[in-house]
Amino acid sequence: MKDNRSVIVGIFILFGLVILITTIFTLGGQKKAFVKSFALRAIFNDVSGLAIGANVLFSGVKIGTVKKIEFYGDSQVRVIMSIENDAESHIHKNALAKIGSDGLIGNKIVVIYGGDKTQPQVVKNDLLKVENGMSTDDMLVTLQQNNKNLVDITSSFKSISKKIDAGNGILGKLVNDPALGVKLTSTIDNLQATVDNFKTASLSGKVVMGDFERLSGNFKNPTNSINRIANDSVAYNKIVGTVTQLQNAASSLNKFTANLKTVSDRLNRKDSPLGLMLNDSATANSLKGMINNLQASSSKLNDDLEAVQHNFLLKGFFKKRAKEQEKEKEKEQEKSKGNIVQ
Amino acid sequence: MESTSKNSDITAKKKYLISKGIDGFFEDIYDLYQFILRFFKEAFSAPVEWKEIVNQCYQVGYKTLLLVSVTGFITGTVFTKQSRPSLSAFGAASWLPSLVSIAIIKTMAPLITALIAAGKVGSNMGAELGSMKVTEQIDAMEVSATNPFKFLVVSRILAITFMMPVLVLYTGLVGMMGAYLNVHSNELTSFTSFFISAFKSIEFKDIFSSLFKALCYGFTIGVAGCYQGYYAQNGTQGVGRAANLAVVFSMFLIFVEELLIVQVLNSFR
Repeated sequence: MKDNRSVIVGIFILFGLVILITTIFTLGGQKKAFVKSFALRAIFNDVSGLAIGANVLFSGVKIGTVKKIEFYGDSQVRVIMSIENDAESHIHKNALAKIGSDGLIGNKIVVIYGGDKTQPQVVKNDLLKVENGMSTDDMLVTLQQNNKNLVDITSSFKSISKKIDAGNGILGKLVNDPALGVKLTSTIDNLQATVDNFKTASLSGKVVMGDFERLSGNFKNPTNSINRIANDSVAYNKIVGTVTQLQNAASSLNKFTANLKTVSDRLNRKDSPLGLMLNDSATANSLKGMINNLQASSSKLNDDLEAVQHNFLLKGFFKKRAKEQEKEKEKEQEKSKGNIVQ
Repeated sequence: MESTSKNSDITAKKKYLISKGIDGFFEDIYDLYQFILRFFKEAFSAPVEWKEIVNQCYQVGYKTLLLVSVTGFITGTVFTKQSRPSLSAFGAASWLPSLVSIAIIKTMAPLITALIAAGKVGSNMGAELGSMKVTEQIDAMEVSATNPFKFLVVSRILAITFMMPVLVLYTGLVGMMGAYLNVHSNELTSFTSFFISAFKSIEFKDIFSSLFKALCYGFTIGVAGCYQGYYAQNGTQGVGRAANLAVVFSMFLIFVEELLIVQVLNSFR
């Protein structure tokens, strides 16, 4: 047993070394300590407590660590980052770097973002452009400003509430005057009624819209006449022709109306025979007298013609014609009777 | 016995610089200094007692493994369990692996291993060497042309010094496994996720500083135990006193070293 002690101690130490080596490689793999890397630089105005060894993220993936932090110029800070070679193809020269935070209160990290394929990939020792984001101090300053604004707002509200409580202003009267409250209630009732009316009108409008919808649906129906007119080119041409003809007719009617107007104008004037007849009373009287004379003359002429019929020279002629007329009447009566029998 | 009575006669006649107690304290410091110097002289001079070193490694390392493993496992589990409510109050229970790994790897693994080793190994060294001293076995070795300091002291100090880092690695691993089991049983965190999160907050310098601490603690335990045993006096009572002082000094010096090493290492961060 005592001879085996050296073996046991050897195994014991070996297992210890295995634990150490596994730990080192696990840690190295996580810290990217054993991967090939290249350097990138960025110059910040303020690194907000960034420390050497802090992570560098690109699209949320750890691609390296901060290797060196040094002052640059008067007050700027140059950060040199160790970036693994695998990430080189994804970072372009127009990518930006900013100081971020690992969680709300976590360690400071460098975040590389942006960049597109229009620019070439970064190479060793390239200087990235920097976005100086808002630091925690900046946020606190903003928060402080917000607090001041909040104090101002609450002060204003305090003043307003005092005025309201004292009954000043519309709100004060509204709160403190019961009569105004009653009026307001009445107004609200009226408003409610108006709203109800609007509601009714809205429902009617809805019905109208339904009608319109049905009408448009009918229009869409191919058997509908309007749809056919809209879609049938022959019928459309006929309608166009009809409308043209109507236009021509209207034009002719216009001309006829103009002529009629001219005629009526002339009739109103006394320089034409009809106008004279229509507008001159003396002429009308003369015409009246003339007509009277004509009546008297025609009466006398009737008497003369009656006398001629009884003249012996013409008496035979009139008797003969009377007999022929009677014969023709008898023939017609016989014909009408025969048709009834048949 | 005769030499002891002579020493007591000399002490009785001696005039103290300040007082007996204070002068004795400074004398102990000087003796310890001489003891350490002698250790380095003997350690780097031939011949090397390999067989005895391996034997002591077996005693110090392998025989202590079970004790430190159980202690480490319990520490990892209990620390995780106790830390959970505080982190959960901030909604940061996911940070538990990071917190536990920092605590175990940076501080608890080396410290707990050292305290356990001080209790087990340091007292053992003090008692063993003390009994050899009071029974004059050491004097007998000198007579038989064997260098008792090299054989007994150097081998023990080297063994505990080099076994302590190995024990710390075991304790750290077992402690982290205990923490993982606790986290897994409560948060259902996977093994991979736990260790990725745990190593997120750990750096190489943390591992090496823990190993450096372990070396220092091992050397301290070895020196304190061997010194108390090698210079044990007054028979069996002296043996008990040597074992007791070995543990007390070891533990006291471990805490002092912890403070100093942390201060020094933090200055390099």
